[in-house]
Amino acid sequence: MQADKKLLKDLTPELESTGTGWYITFTIFLGLFIVGIYGLVQQIDKGHIVTGMRDNVVWGFYIVNFIFFMGLSYSGALISGVLHLFHTGWRKPIIRMAELITVISLVIGPFFIFFCIGRLDRLYFLFTHPRIQSPITWDVIAICTDLIGCFIYLYLSFIEDFAILRDYDELNVAPWKKKLYKILSLGYDGSPIQAKLLANARTIMATMIIAIAIIVYSVLAWIFGVTLQPGWHSTIFGPYFVIAAVFSGTGLLIILMWIFRKVYHLEEYITQRHFINVGVLLTVIAAFYGYFTFSDYLTKWYGSIKMDSILIDKLFSEYYSLFIFANYIGILLPGIIIAFPRFRTIRNITVAAVIALLALWVNRYIIVIPTLETPFLPIQDTRPDWIKYSPTWIEWSLTFAGVSIFAMLFMLVSKIAPIISISEMQEKDKDEILK
Amino acid sequence: MKTRLSTTIFSLSFFLMFSLSLFSQGKSVISPYIQLQYFKNSDNSHLLKTTLTYSLNRMEIPLQGMEISFFSEAGGKKLLGKTLTDKIGVALLELKEINNLSLTEEGGWSFSTEFKGNDTIEAGSSELSIKDVKLEMALLEVDSIRTISLKAFTTENKKEIPVSGEVVMVYVPRMFSLLSVGEASLDENGSALLEFPADIPGDKEGNLTIISRFEEHPSFGNVELRETKQWGLPSTNSAPVAHRALWTKTAPRWMIITLSVLLTGVWGHYLFAVISLIRIKRESNKQKKMKS
Repeated sequence: MQADKKLLKDLTPELESTGTGWYITFTIFLGLFIVGIYGLVQQIDKGHIVTGMRDNVVWGFYIVNFIFFMGLSYSGALISGVLHLFHTGWRKPIIRMAELITVISLVIGPFFIFFCIGRLDRLYFLFTHPRIQSPITWDVIAICTDLIGCFIYLYLSFIEDFAILRDYDELNVAPWKKKLYKILSLGYDGSPIQAKLLANARTIMATMIIAIAIIVYSVLAWIFGVTLQPGWHSTIFGPYFVIAAVFSGTGLLIILMWIFRKVYHLEEYITQRHFINVGVLLTVIAAFYGYFTFSDYLTKWYGSIKMDSILIDKLFSEYYSLFIFANYIGILLPGIIIAFPRFRTIRNITVAAVIALLALWVNRYIIVIPTLETPFLPIQDTRPDWIKYSPTWIEWSLTFAGVSIFAMLFMLVSKIAPIISISEMQEKDKDEILK
Repeated sequence: MKTRLSTTIFSLSFFLMFSLSLFSQGKSVISPYIQLQYFKNSDNSHLLKTTLTYSLNRMEIPLQGMEISFFSEAGGKKLLGKTLTDKIGVALLELKEINNLSLTEEGGWSFSTEFKGNDTIEAGSSELSIKDVKLEMALLEVDSIRTISLKAFTTENKKEIPVSGEVVMVYVPRMFSLLSVGEASLDENGSALLEFPADIPGDKEGNLTIISRFEEHPSFGNVELRETKQWGLPSTNSAPVAHRALWTKTAPRWMIITLSVLLTGVWGHYLFAVISLIRIKRESNKQKKMKS
């Protein structure tokens, strides 16, 4: 299967050679990852006492990270699925990044659940004794289903590129890579029958992963929403979580676009136009996200249920700065930066995306922790450290290990397949993209 | 270039390992808390129990795998045995030949326990003096009232001396812990009567295990008697009629149907995608055959 020579020359050098910078960056991430593993060994050896989690706050950083990574995954699925289905012209250089965000985050996220479980040896009970009335069971089924679906979707999107790389004689890569391309391309050569089969499968899977992403993230939200805990028992938690996920994923997509554009010299392909388009998407989602946030807290505040009032008081006192950052700065600032054309530079949009991403993580934190710190019944002879959560270095190290493995997997995948889809790029409106 | 790269990676790895090794530096010596307890059970067995723990952030942390020595102190220090602490920091020693042990001037036993310590944990010891007490329990029905009759006495110069003014606790075991039925105060004859409630659920036949105890007594330690009696209300553990609800074993039908439809729909589409992949491969094989 043949492809545009220029595209191949521009997009394949990273597959052929690896610079010193790549190795150094990878080693740094690997170092962070090893520190996380050391922390995990400590936790396995000494138990959860080494974390900040206690009798009241039984969910800490790990659950925050789990929700955060799963959100990134679902947003990647939503963005790539929608861009594919609507054949958006400017999608082509960025769709693969969205697809990779989906799968890599989905692989990492559930590990944080494993870190959080006290009796990991009983995990298989979820499969051997499932109760379908339990949202936890829904979540297990949903995550497994989503993981398989996302892998199939990602693989479908890679087949054409594998075929192109297989047939690109000038590609100077290790023999095992060539062999890998040959096996994974399934003998695809772009014949009309094969092209039709692949296109149909991709369209079906794109539709599926959009639906699954919405359902699965709603299920995750219902784990919180169906409880009677203050701050969680909300009917809008499902859509609120979905919108928040897309918000974070869009932010991460912009950051990755900026990094790969800079590092792999893709300025010709990922242009300011892409940043503005994804930035506008971020602003629109920020508006919806802000609307949901305001609606949720307004209803709780106005209802004046005792525990909700205590929680809101806590958010505006102990958690004031985090609350303001997550729900004001994190929502308004990206909007302001992108809303005014004069601010819409690549750098500004990336800064807005970083703020949005951090704010969303903090938002997850202030959803999970303050609620658990607001128990309905006080524990007899309680100690302050049972109520007040404070993460330990082990939780921090595993959090950074999660970010590191995300970065490492992204870096490794970029050495096997182009980070910009060659097959997508050489579709009819290629010229329009390269303008 | 490659050499420089290898050097950089090696240096970074070395730095990382060095940094990790720093975590294990600067450990302070632990001051343990050692507690010795004596138990006399219903089967007339005698146990010594040592608990070895230390305090960290106001939490009691057990010390596991530590060697604990037990001694009899009366008539010269005599080693009774050595055992290791388990994961909750407990070391147990059964005193099989307690009647052969020397007695103190007061006619009791004197025990001690020792932990020798090591590089990271300080040594510790504890002592305990015990006077043997005989606790007797009779379960009677006086005028149709279920009554527990308790008697306790010690032996001095082969004479029985009643234990007076002490409290014996009475319990019934329940699922998670012991239910206190009452406290009996021993009179000048070392006797006490306690009315047993008539409304405690027992097993299918109404059997209950009744426990009477001296608890953490400064002279007698922990002395326990157990007896089973048909004094409870017979329990009928008939399973509730199974119905479909959020909290029963069987889920509501709508839930099963919704989940099944959703999963069938989704996995059906996955199957379609996988079949498409197989057909792509077959198409490629077909074309290869045609070309050859």
